[in-house]
Amino acid sequence: MRGREIVRVEGLVKEFRPGFGLRRKRVLHGISFQVREGEIFGFVGPNGAGKTTTLKVLMGLIRPTAGSASILGCDVRETAFRRHIGFLPENPYFYDYLTGREILDFYAVLSGVPRARRAGRVERLLDWVGLSHAADARLRTYSKGMLQRIGIAQALVHDPDVVFLDEPMSGLDPIGRKEIRDLVLRLKADGKTLFMNTHILSDVEMLCDRVAIIVKGRIRYEGSTDRFRLGGEREVDVVLSGLDPELAQHTEERFGAAVRGLGERIEMRVAEKHVGELLGAALGSGATVESVTPHRISLESIFLHAVEQDSSSAEGAP
Amino acid sequence: MISLPRIWALAANTVREAIRSKLLYTLLFFAILLIASGVLLSTLSYVESQRILQDIGMGATRIFAVAIAIFVGVGLIYQEVDRRTVYTILSKPISRAEFLLGKYLGLVLTIWLQVAIMVLAFVAVSRATGAPLHGGHAAAFAMTAVELALVVAVATLFSAFTTPMLASFFSTGLWIVGHATRELRDLGARAEVESIRQLTAALHRILPDLESFNLTLEATHGLPIAASDLWLPLAYAAGYVGIVLVAAIAIFERRDLR
Repeated sequence: MRGREIVRVEGLVKEFRPGFGLRRKRVLHGISFQVREGEIFGFVGPNGAGKTTTLKVLMGLIRPTAGSASILGCDVRETAFRRHIGFLPENPYFYDYLTGREILDFYAVLSGVPRARRAGRVERLLDWVGLSHAADARLRTYSKGMLQRIGIAQALVHDPDVVFLDEPMSGLDPIGRKEIRDLVLRLKADGKTLFMNTHILSDVEMLCDRVAIIVKGRIRYEGSTDRFRLGGEREVDVVLSGLDPELAQHTEERFGAAVRGLGERIEMRVAEKHVGELLGAALGSGATVESVTPHRISLESIFLHAVEQDSSSAEGAP
Repeated sequence: MISLPRIWALAANTVREAIRSKLLYTLLFFAILLIASGVLLSTLSYVESQRILQDIGMGATRIFAVAIAIFVGVGLIYQEVDRRTVYTILSKPISRAEFLLGKYLGLVLTIWLQVAIMVLAFVAVSRATGAPLHGGHAAAFAMTAVELALVVAVATLFSAFTTPMLASFFSTGLWIVGHATRELRDLGARAEVESIRQLTAALHRILPDLESFNLTLEATHGLPIAASDLWLPLAYAAGYVGIVLVAAIAIFERRDLR
């Protein structure tokens, strides 16, 4: 099912002029992608790939050099539509002289939440992110995880339809990461559309419906996470013990199997269609099957392939 | 469209930040100490000791308030960008113009609050020493408050595009020059070269004429103050502040907030 288009980026180019130099540095090379209603969209890339720059363009913090970006059909340079979006920046910094309750009330006023609904909304959000107990403590006393949670709360204070998160798990311990993951899933369950910048691939695999991989300012992959989970020819890892070395060599040649290990235990990666034949031959020769594990084509392999492809094309460039 | 509740929310938060900052209390403490020390310094003279006391008090109020205005004003926008607090604020339905106006208004109110406290100290010291208090003092302090609104606008303009260090140099320089533009114009008028006369006249028009807000002499000597001594500088300040803030907004609108 393809939902309504929420974010549309078309041929986006961003150039910066570092220092006082005249030469401009191109950070985004005409990227394009879309985010659809109700999905969690993962924007993935190594450090310095252009993820945060893209998000800053979407938030109107920096102006595109060329191309266009729109959210909910509105140009990102407008301001009125922002009452429908929420944003959590990377390593957010808030006015640390305010308490948790005060900062949420402040953002609620800025977001245009009516006075009659403000107090109730703030209390509900404090409860939702598990910070009711620290509502009257100054933010300077908050831990990193608590700041991240108050950051999510401020992004939601006006009940937006679309939420943008920049590296939401960055710098958190495993418990903090799980808490944020749970909050993200609850937002999706509430029908929100989420755009998530991250370089933590396991989080993307766990949370995202679709993903775009950006490397050095260019989109290298865009698609559903199901596509790489299920698509293509699957492979299987087979671990055998007591396999005749001659048969191992024969198997390697016949099935194109990648063989690892020496001596008693041998691990082979073969195409799924050859597994039956391989196991028959192995059992027939008196070998023991230790394990058979389907090998999933992971996001990591696609990510690494995109990065390597970019490196090799850069090396081949004149 | 400009929203007054949003501007007011930003202004109120800026005032709250100042109230919770220890640094401003320290500056305020020294300002009050200097006003009170006027009692001691005035005893050094046998004549016009009360006038010396009030001269010191009004001067201290002016200097400390300008110092706070420049010191805080130059970091007003820069620090919001540097600390990235601006990211979450501007992701809300708030324009950059509203943000800048809110911060400006907040700092002006903060400075006026500080001036009010210093004026209370001035009144207390004057009462304690039997020095006369009259409407001239109120007018002079009111004009100082107007001048401070202009100084904060200039500091905000510089803060919108440069570092606090450079902004404080520019703002302080402009404040010093602003108190000498009349002398500059009069000096230029006596020059024999026409281009110098034109240049000094142009500088007098462009640079802020801050001496027009200085009624200390009239207040301490009990000289009459005409209504035009108040409303003309007030109108001048309103126009100047307006132009400076429009320029600051235009610069800030075009900035990439990296």
